Amino acid sequence: MSNFTIPVGPLHVALEEPMYFRIDVHGETVNNVTINAGHVHRGIEYLITKRNVFQNVVLTERICSLCSNSHPQAYSMAIEQIAGIKVPPRAEYLRAIADEIKRVASHLFNVGVLAHLVGFESLFMHVMEVRERMQDVKESIFGNRMDIGANTIGGVRYDIDPERIGYLRAQLDALVPDVEEIIDLYHTDNSILRRTRGIGVLSHADALDCGVVGPVARAAGVNYDVRVKAPYAAYDRLEVPVHVLHDGDVWSRAMIRLMEARTAIDLIRQCLDALPDGPTVATAERPAIPPGEAIAKCEAPRGELIYYVRMTDSPKPERVKWRVPSFLNWDALGIMLKQAKVSDIAIIVNSIDPCISCTER
Amino acid sequence: MNFLRIFARNLLRGPSTVPFPFGPAWTPARMRGRVQFKLSSCTGCRACEQVCAPGAIRFDKTPEGLRFMMWHNTCVFCGMCEFYCPTDAIHQSDDWHMAHAVGEKYGMAIREVIPYTACTGCGMKTLASAPNPIGVVPPFTPEEVEQQRNQCPACRKKALAERGTPS
Repeated sequence: MSNFTIPVGPLHVALEEPMYFRIDVHGETVNNVTINAGHVHRGIEYLITKRNVFQNVVLTERICSLCSNSHPQAYSMAIEQIAGIKVPPRAEYLRAIADEIKRVASHLFNVGVLAHLVGFESLFMHVMEVRERMQDVKESIFGNRMDIGANTIGGVRYDIDPERIGYLRAQLDALVPDVEEIIDLYHTDNSILRRTRGIGVLSHADALDCGVVGPVARAAGVNYDVRVKAPYAAYDRLEVPVHVLHDGDVWSRAMIRLMEARTAIDLIRQCLDALPDGPTVATAERPAIPPGEAIAKCEAPRGELIYYVRMTDSPKPERVKWRVPSFLNWDALGIMLKQAKVSDIAIIVNSIDPCISCTER
Repeated sequence: MNFLRIFARNLLRGPSTVPFPFGPAWTPARMRGRVQFKLSSCTGCRACEQVCAPGAIRFDKTPEGLRFMMWHNTCVFCGMCEFYCPTDAIHQSDDWHMAHAVGEKYGMAIREVIPYTACTGCGMKTLASAPNPIGVVPPFTPEEVEQQRNQCPACRKKALAERGTPS
């Protein structure tokens, strides 16, 4: 057997987003991986300093479509901290609802793509069909399938009346058996198990070394969830179970996502049960933002998302910097891909749910 | 084997896609689509212009008045303009049928002018915009809106003070 160097990406049938891997293989076993980034750099950190605080709520939402609620939420929380704005309780619950609706859709998408990469196309289409119910919910409640536009500085931009609460509950009730069926299927289906168990293992020690976050960390036995460790929005009043598995393989990461999707449905129900009355935004008019700096973080579907904002006297931020979960998680790919088979590369890369557009912004 | 059951069930249910454009496509009532502008409600406060991230909304001064301009092809359908509009002047309808020929692209815009008028109180040249309703208790009646529309900012303040309400 001889050694080769093969390129995977940046445009590759099995990769969802542009990312370039230079892979040294011995036969069909991966020896070394070099990750090159920069294919979807759009200069958003620069653009954000050229727009005012309110325009940036929309710009941060457009960074990535799957975490499109987490970005404006963390950004708004940082601005609210600078301005000392107190978000009304109803808005906090509505923020948690928006966050969890996006989490269900995002996790089901990733798990569906896993079935596609395994070659199980009919299961892929079934999972996407189940996810479609959540897309309809987003379109009916927020008005858009991906960029839901839930957040603004000081609160939320949407409200739900009893009729929409009834609709949301009915959709969740219909979703639960489907999601449980999918969880059962991923537990027992041999096509899935053979391609994912023991593949792309990230040990607990390596997970801590790389500082991975989100489902990747929790699948490797790291019990870390921002919703529990540093509650934001209404999460301090909700019961948030954290799922932890210890194998650290592709299958564990998929199962963590599926279980979190199931938990997210319960969290939405908890929010609907406890939804207080009151205003949905701190001030009807645009609040003035004083100079200052702040850090805010939230749990995006892929893990911990941290925002840093510095304001001066100008209505435009002087600096906005964010650290996205995929930045930490793709570093761990080097370890996961060691000694992997070439045919497993796409499955392992997908298992960290890489979000290149967030990371390269 | 579990999946065969799901497969059979999905097969029996039939297709879940819709035959658009040959049939209607489901559209929820809250769908954020094409922006609509109601000139008679516009206060000319320009809040929409300031929160519009892509710069689709522009105001400029013309000899006739203050012109509102909104380019549909630049719009990102974020809904910030509608949220921060103090009146119901700007609204996102559920119309998403916006595909058009390239030749029509300069028509894909809203251009409306808030005209200048002479103030009924002092005769000064002023914009005939709707009054800002924020903080006005009790809210303006339609007659009051029409009365305020034809007044300059100073005479509007005076009328509000005579109304005995905090402005």
